[in-house]
Amino acid sequence: MTWLEHGMKNYIIMRLLATIPLLLGISFLCFVFINLIPSDPAEVALRIRQTPIITEELIAQTRAELGLDQPFLVRYFVWLWDCLHFDLGFSYTNPARTVLGEIGRCLPATLELAGLSLVYVIVLSLPIGFLSAVYKDTLFDRIMRGVVFATTAMPVYWVGLLLIWLISIKCDLLPTSGYGGFSSLILPAFTVALSYISTYIRLIRNNMLENMREDYVLYAQARGLKQRAILVRHILKNSLQSCVTAIGMSIPQLIAGTIVVENVFAWPGVGRLCIASIFNRDYPVIQAYVLLVGVLFVFFNLAFDILQYVADPRLRERKS
Amino acid sequence: MKTSRFWKEALVATVLTGSLCVGGVALAAEQKSDTLNFVNYRDVRDLNPHLYAGEMYAQEMLYETLVDITADGYKPCLAESWDISPDGKVYTFHIRKGVTFTDGTPCDAYAIKANFDAILENRARHTWLEMMHLLEKVDAPDAHTFRIFMKAPYWPMLTELGVTRPFAMISPAAMKDGSTKDGVKAYIGTGPYKLTKVVTDEYAVFEANENYWGEQPKIKRIVVKVIPDNQTRILALEKGEIDLIWGKNMLDADALNKYRDNKDFGIAMSTPTSTRHIVLNGQNPVLADIAVRKALQHATNRVAIAKGVFHNTELPADTLYARSVPYCDIDLPPYEYDMEKAARILDEAGWKPGSDGVREKDGKRMELGLLYNSNSVTEKTIAEYLQHEYGKLGIRVSLRGEEEQSYRDNMKNGLFDMIFNICWGMPYDPQSSMAAMRQRVYGDYAAQLALPDKKEIDAAITEIMSSTDPARRQELFTFALTHLHEDAIYIPLTYETNKALFSSRLKGVGFTQTQYEVPFVKMSFEAAKP
Repeated sequence: MTWLEHGMKNYIIMRLLATIPLLLGISFLCFVFINLIPSDPAEVALRIRQTPIITEELIAQTRAELGLDQPFLVRYFVWLWDCLHFDLGFSYTNPARTVLGEIGRCLPATLELAGLSLVYVIVLSLPIGFLSAVYKDTLFDRIMRGVVFATTAMPVYWVGLLLIWLISIKCDLLPTSGYGGFSSLILPAFTVALSYISTYIRLIRNNMLENMREDYVLYAQARGLKQRAILVRHILKNSLQSCVTAIGMSIPQLIAGTIVVENVFAWPGVGRLCIASIFNRDYPVIQAYVLLVGVLFVFFNLAFDILQYVADPRLRERKS
Repeated sequence: MKTSRFWKEALVATVLTGSLCVGGVALAAEQKSDTLNFVNYRDVRDLNPHLYAGEMYAQEMLYETLVDITADGYKPCLAESWDISPDGKVYTFHIRKGVTFTDGTPCDAYAIKANFDAILENRARHTWLEMMHLLEKVDAPDAHTFRIFMKAPYWPMLTELGVTRPFAMISPAAMKDGSTKDGVKAYIGTGPYKLTKVVTDEYAVFEANENYWGEQPKIKRIVVKVIPDNQTRILALEKGEIDLIWGKNMLDADALNKYRDNKDFGIAMSTPTSTRHIVLNGQNPVLADIAVRKALQHATNRVAIAKGVFHNTELPADTLYARSVPYCDIDLPPYEYDMEKAARILDEAGWKPGSDGVREKDGKRMELGLLYNSNSVTEKTIAEYLQHEYGKLGIRVSLRGEEEQSYRDNMKNGLFDMIFNICWGMPYDPQSSMAAMRQRVYGDYAAQLALPDKKEIDAAITEIMSSTDPARRQELFTFALTHLHEDAIYIPLTYETNKALFSSRLKGVGFTQTQYEVPFVKMSFEAAKP
């Protein structure tokens, strides 16, 4: 076992080291792109603070206040250095607030939303995908395929509004919007989850159908194993492997993908913070958001790769 | 594969559990009380009354000014009365006795002086108000007298003192060492309501100020929920989660129209607050020709726009400012909709259709860009309609939608041929918005720059500001507005209005002269039926 642990340690260290240039690249790109936006953030900040007449002096004053009078690279390195000290600066539109504080305020709501969505995704797509494969081409499978097709095609904001109309108004079951308790979480989480559920149903179904044609299934049948055991312990287990990798990427996607839903459901999360910051050219907040999402992707990608490496003996053997 | 009962059962169980969860939650009964649930599209943000970053309706609830601007002129507020010296340079305000801030601090002349000191410390920030350039000093000789000394007379003085900000009074105890420019400790005013709770981006709670000097508001508690999406707001109203949607851009015409005949909901619409118009850039070689500008005016069917786009929730506008705006009740002949006349004007001016139907003259083709704010659905609709209409005349219009900030950049820098705009509205119209035409801050400056009478117009505006004689002021306004109208540089479209959609148990929903003030004090709930 020692060689294995040694190899694993090396693998993990290599992967961790590789994330450093990746994160630097992300931070630099996000800084560059945001600075390419033509509007002057100092002027926009003044507009957002609703100054009716914006004079050149006022712009110059604000630019100095926000540190925008420094050259681009100086600003980048100052920002990077501060980021490493967990100081993400102040919001341009509301200088009384720190960016870290804003993200800290909004992130929990988004995590709740993404968390419940993930539960929906797993709880719904697993049995439906499984059953669709088992009962391939039956009525159930055909209906599900139709549903999957439709939900993938419907834009999220529309689904959200339809759900509010149906569940909140017509059935009078849940609040329309806002943040307050589990009842207000159900609809937005379901809206976020819907397109993922469709994706995963398709993925699980197709994987299972592929696996069913594999020789080991025939072998298992030949050994006289029970049908249920073959389906669950062999076919499903093997089919889920690529799903696990996909879930690893879906988690940060769920966190970053709540922007539209948060707006429709008045959910006070980072997505809404991000939209407001983009409209207000609030550079420090946009940068922090992009960086956060970048770090999440890198982290989850890494974590799930390592997880697979640990879980799947075949991967380890190939590497060694 | 053989079917298995196990999986069928599992599926049924999952569905059942799921529906039970949902059902259980729904049992949480909805409670109605005498709380008014209001809605806004964003958070109240920083309610420092001396800065501009907060929501104005909330500032109006918390803070008060020396005078009130009403439809019948200036009314006393924190100042019970005032005198203006004959030379128009000294304003003496007699401060209302017995008014306290909600923290118990008396709101006397000294407190008002402290507020002015804090505002003047940050003078550069407020120079959009012309009076800031003219204000010399302030003093408080005793607890009930407050004086402002000016370098020169300035007639819109009381209006500027009465607008929502910056001359609203906050408790000196809430200032940071007598200063407010870097923030305040708490939002403490003298107004009819006090702020009791804010959860950022979710809601804010206002409660009636039981020590209010004026009429006690009937509605004791107001919760303002934050719902950014237009459709969701309306759905929340329909569900009864909110009682009132109020504002200019909070409701679209289709939504209002839908509830017009619905007994459960009421609709209210204000008099014009501001004018939606298109600014023509006089520096553009095609638009430099006044005949082209006049032809465009005649080719614009304002009635059709008001009806088709706004279902008449905004009425057609004939002039840059509505006649209800002070000093703007002037007889200006409107440019009536007449396509033949428009074509004739262009023909006579030498703009002849080329081989592809687009008119041209001296090698210049009639191709114009129309810039709109892509966040505004109505502007896009109007733009498409006008593109079609102007096209019939042989004017090729290309549309360009830009996101709000870059739309504003383009407007300020004069990077447009034609652009949508809305004037500042009451109570800033006409004096403050016309004062701003003289500087490169909005599209007006660039658009007017090439006008031969630009200098005369600017001179008239400058004289207006210091003129103490109302008759002379009217004369000057008439001069400037007539010139701008005859120059045909603005195509007025419709008069924007404040709109409200509310639960029919809410009574007294209306509007004031200040377009951002939601008059909660006048509202009440219908007595509950037994």
